Amino acid sequence: MDSLRRTYHDELAQAKDELVRLAAVVTESIPRATAVLLDGDLEGADYIIRGDDEIDARALDLEEQCYQILALQAPVASELRQVVALMKMVAEVERSADLLCNICKAARRIYGHELDPKLRGIIARMGEQAQQLYDAAIESFVENDAAKAAAIDDMDSYLDGLQKQFVQAIFESHAGGRIDLQVAVQLAVVARFYERIGDHAVNIGERVRFVVTGWLPEHKGAARFRNRDLTGEIPRIPSASNSESSAGGGGPD
Amino acid sequence: MGLLHRRREPLNGESPDLSDARDEISRVRGELERAQSALDALPIGVVLVDPRGAVLSRNHSTRVGRGHSDVLVQEAIDRQVTQALAGRESSASIELFGPPKRVIQVKATPRNDGGALVIIEDISERARLDAVRTDFVANISHELKTPVGALAVLAEAVSEEDDLEVVHRLANKMVDEAHRAATSIDDLLELSRIELGGRAVREPVVVHDVLRSAVIRSLAAAEQRDIRIDLDEPEPALTVLGDRRQLVSAVSNLIDNAVKYSEQGAEVFVSAVIDGRHVGLRVEDRGVGIPTKDLDRVFERFYRVDRARSRDTGGTGLGLAIVRHVATNHEGDVQVTSIEGEGSTFTLRIPVAS
Repeated sequence: MDSLRRTYHDELAQAKDELVRLAAVVTESIPRATAVLLDGDLEGADYIIRGDDEIDARALDLEEQCYQILALQAPVASELRQVVALMKMVAEVERSADLLCNICKAARRIYGHELDPKLRGIIARMGEQAQQLYDAAIESFVENDAAKAAAIDDMDSYLDGLQKQFVQAIFESHAGGRIDLQVAVQLAVVARFYERIGDHAVNIGERVRFVVTGWLPEHKGAARFRNRDLTGEIPRIPSASNSESSAGGGGPD
Repeated sequence: MGLLHRRREPLNGESPDLSDARDEISRVRGELERAQSALDALPIGVVLVDPRGAVLSRNHSTRVGRGHSDVLVQEAIDRQVTQALAGRESSASIELFGPPKRVIQVKATPRNDGGALVIIEDISERARLDAVRTDFVANISHELKTPVGALAVLAEAVSEEDDLEVVHRLANKMVDEAHRAATSIDDLLELSRIELGGRAVREPVVVHDVLRSAVIRSLAAAEQRDIRIDLDEPEPALTVLGDRRQLVSAVSNLIDNAVKYSEQGAEVFVSAVIDGRHVGLRVEDRGVGIPTKDLDRVFERFYRVDRARSRDTGGTGLGLAIVRHVATNHEGDVQVTSIEGEGSTFTLRIPVAS
């Protein structure tokens, strides 16, 4: 029995280590993708886009490993939360890697176009902030630190602010005739990618809080919804076929 | 005490063999500790693993932190160990964006007992120096050959031209190019003078005086572009130890740069801040800024952030190299922070005169 438990704990530790390694690859790729975008480095773009296949494969393997732990070890309580959180977190990391690929693809599309120093400066800062968010998320995961995980949300607000600032700078640059519409649209999309990477880091932080305390931000939204439902505040959308509407969980991320 | 000690031996029944073994153990232990401390003193990381991949010993340099870069270095070590345990010698270099940027080399060699020996070396400085060397040759030839090439082409054109007006225009261009080459050579000479001059003259220099002189030197260039230099005058008693001429030259170089890379009508701020035992001579602009990737390299000779723009700004590419040498000569340093599109701040830190 002892050796069985040891194997189980080893498997869980291995799965956690693999998630940290995958997240480290993503964290490292954030400044790399930013450099690709700012320097028009097509070779670097290719490196990141090709590397995504490996991340996809490793993410799938890790997910599979989690299913095995669930099926064969039937964890309970905090260990069950750990496995479930791992499965959610691996999806966040994998999606973040996809977003970095998208940044590289956008860099290819705007290749050869000069960008204003102001635009370049905000891109650099969005990259730095997104990386800091990811670093903090992984640190909170490794250290099982719910307080650190809770602080990530505030850091994300700064990234959201930068995105808004960037969109404004795009308008100014376009109005000044320094970038054409196509480049402007690509840049706006790039800003969105950085902002989404930040959101994924926030989600990882929330899963860490879930592991440590069992809390999820969605609980607040769900409780609010149920409360409104009871008091009849929410007008139901009339439906011919089905009068019951399904209650979807999850608040805005 | 002596008697007591002698009597203890037979009482304990300890044989001379056992005592020898104890001595031997403590000798071996001492040797091991000495070997470990020698290993710990090495700047490179050394890890010894057994045939199952378990770590037998590792020195201080391999104690990695918890940052994402450390996770990636550990992953590279694990990969090389797997290769070495399969009997293959292997090596890999990993480039980490960090920050800070690092290049780490991991080499793993199989051992006779089936285990492996791993050597981890941070070769960032070597890689940086290689890049500096390669770029230096390309940059110096660009800076010196461009005006000389232009002169040759212009002279050729003049020799075949009859139209006086055209000859006059070409001659003016030749003068510009000759000035350009002369400025580059002057700056190179200034740089080598600072480099070879050994320790700078050490005398108390009033900071207020240095900043004012430097601002006056750069006024003409600033006025041409309608740029206001805002000097936050330090208190007259603030002095540093150094060579006045070199300090003025360094601050003036920083102000010239700030003026060059600011938009027309902008402002440049010059001030002095006390930072512990140093005085920071600070020049701040709201100009184009410097890309993060170039921040570490702007102090190299002839290094250009934007080569295409360098001819428009008219510099020689040596200004910041001169500033850095002045800082080194004064046992100080020069620091830069910058955000593209928002501006740059250069701080030349010089020890305060006590």
